[in-house]
Order: sequence, then C-alpha cells, then structure tokens
Amino acid sequence: MTGDPVNLLEMLLAFARLGLISFGGTNVAEIERALVLQHGWIDARTLANGFALGQLMPGPNMLAVTHYGYAAAGLPGALAATLGFYGPTALLSAVAILVWQRHSAHPWVGAFRNALLPFGGGVILAGALVLARTSVTSWPAALLAGVAFLLLWRTRVNSALVVLGAAAVGAWLGL
Amino acid sequence: MTRAHPAAPEDDPPATLSPTPLALARMFVGVALSGIGGGLPAHTRRALTTRGWMTDEDFAETFTLAQLTPGPNAVNLAAMVGARLGGRAGAAASTVGVLTPGLLAMLAVSAVTLGLPGGLPPTLQSALHGAACAALAVLLTAALPVVRVGWGVRGGPVVTVLAFLALGVWRLDLLPVLLVLVGAGLLLHRPRGGGQP
Repeated sequence: MTGDPVNLLEMLLAFARLGLISFGGTNVAEIERALVLQHGWIDARTLANGFALGQLMPGPNMLAVTHYGYAAAGLPGALAATLGFYGPTALLSAVAILVWQRHSAHPWVGAFRNALLPFGGGVILAGALVLARTSVTSWPAALLAGVAFLLLWRTRVNSALVVLGAAAVGAWLGL
Repeated sequence: MTRAHPAAPEDDPPATLSPTPLALARMFVGVALSGIGGGLPAHTRRALTTRGWMTDEDFAETFTLAQLTPGPNAVNLAAMVGARLGGRAGAAASTVGVLTPGLLAMLAVSAVTLGLPGGLPPTLQSALHGAACAALAVLLTAALPVVRVGWGVRGGPVVTVLAFLALGVWRLDLLPVLLVLVGAGLLLHRPRGGGQP
C-alpha cells in the first residue's frame, strides 16, 4: 500500500457509508467494490485474510474493517475505519429504538420490513460469492469450505473452533 | 415459551432496574469475550435476562429491530439495549464495550501480520487461506436464516435473486439497487386502506 497517503477523512466517510448500507449485517460485496476496486486501499487477498481474522476476534465479526483500515493507513487508518463503520450505525440504532417504541403499530413499518428482508438475503449471498472467488481457488479449498459448512450447519460446534481447525488444515495442506 | 416469574410482585414498577453506563459497558465487554466465533445476540440475551435487566419479550423486539437497521447487527443490538436501559450514555457505553476487546485484539494481530517484511510466511498464508474457506462457510450459515425469512415474503424470491445478481455477479453500486428493489418491495407491500385483504 504505497503511493499517495490515504486521506483519513475520506476513509472515515467511506467506511461510514459502508456501515450504513450493510443491511442484514454483512455486505462483503460492497466492501470489496469500494475498498479494492474503487479506492485500491487493499487487495483481494487482504480482504479475504481480514474477513477470516475477523471470525477469530472476540465480538462482532466485521472487525475485519479494523484490519482493512490498518492495511491501508496504519493505526490512524484502523481507528478511522472502525469509528466510521460502527459509529453512525450505532447512533442511528439508538435513535431508532426510541422512535420505534412510539410508532411500532404503523402499517408502513411492516411494509418496510417486508421490502427489506428479501433484499438483505440477496446482499449476504452476493457477499459470499465475492469471498468465494478469492478463497475457493482449488478443489481442496472447496472441499474444506464444504466440510466447514456441514459442521457449522449440522452440529453445535463453536465456529471459532471450525475456523481455527480450517487454518490448521490449510497450513498442513499448504493451500 | 413459559417465563419463570420472579418472586417479586410484577405490577409495581421495579425499583427501576436501570443499570449504570459502567455496568452496561462491563456487561458488553463480557458478551464480546464470550462471543468469539459468533452468537453475540444469544450471549447478549443471556447476560440481560440473568441480570433481570430485560424480559425475553423486550429482547425479542429489540433484536428484530437491530436486524432491520443498517449496519453490523451485533453492535446495533448493543446500542439499542444501551439506549433502552441507560439512555444516551448507556448507548455509548454499550457500543464501546462490545467493540473494545475485538478492536484491541484485531489491532495487535494486524500489526503483526501486516508488519512482516516481505509479507506473510507461506505457512501462515496457507493457514489464513484455510481459515478464509471456513469463514466463507460461517457467512453462508449466517445467510441461511436471513434468506429463508426473506424467501417467505410475497415477491421475496425474485427480490433476493435480483439483489444477488446485481451486487454479486454484475457488481452494481448498492444504493441504486437498494432504491429500486426496496422501492418495488414497498409498492408490493404498501398498506391498503380497506377492501382487499
């Protein structure tokens, strides 16, 4: 990540935008479009690595944004990315719950919910496709992803253990 | 769904169970630490109900709303719980609390992995590649319930598939796609005054 120094304010605003349009929780597709394709702050490998590391961190798994900010501009970048990504949506949420408690019976609230839910499903699937393009680059990798999916879907094993186990398998296979 | 009633009489407004911002921050640090590998909402619920700070009903409502607001759900949930229980200061304290452990851990890991001269050693890169495959699986399992709920809504499958194609395959900008698809959904589900059911 050499080249022009990254403008921290620009980065803060870019991450604020990404946070505010992450309906359904995770919007990897748009994060890649903005950070990799549009700004060139990180590369696709860093995107996938950061997402994987985020699964191992305590707390919300989109702490990957901290990693992306760090990769682009060191500690100030990490803080700008984290503050931008989480700050505005947390503020909006706090306001929303207070408004909601007053207006939950309004019919347009239900209409909005019905409009948003299927959109959120498409957003998450698009993110999975984007990650798969970087991660599933070989048959062993596809097999590993498939086994991890079955374990997570069919058993109650902790997902951090599955990610750590896959890391061990990856190191052993030399993926 | 039976709820165990506490010994205290229910109808007098409880000696307001409003926790201090510090107590909220401490609770959410604990929630974050036990939430390695996900499941934050479940940990939040357990922490709240064991302390008697929120009923299951209140939690379910807050949780649903956190799903609907934009942004990372677990953090939105913390902000909402904090706002309900402790106002502005509570919201701020809860948000900071749920983020702090992971932020510190991620900063440390980023400094190490990104600071290596000549990039990651091959073994570590292979390990991360393996972890990325599993992380993809985590994302897919998180997607399943969301897709299932959206699929059941009238017109839902069409909207889900179109959103997937537009954002994942054609890589269109999110905002116009959001406006068109959510706009169409609003039209389809607009509240009707009377007449047709």
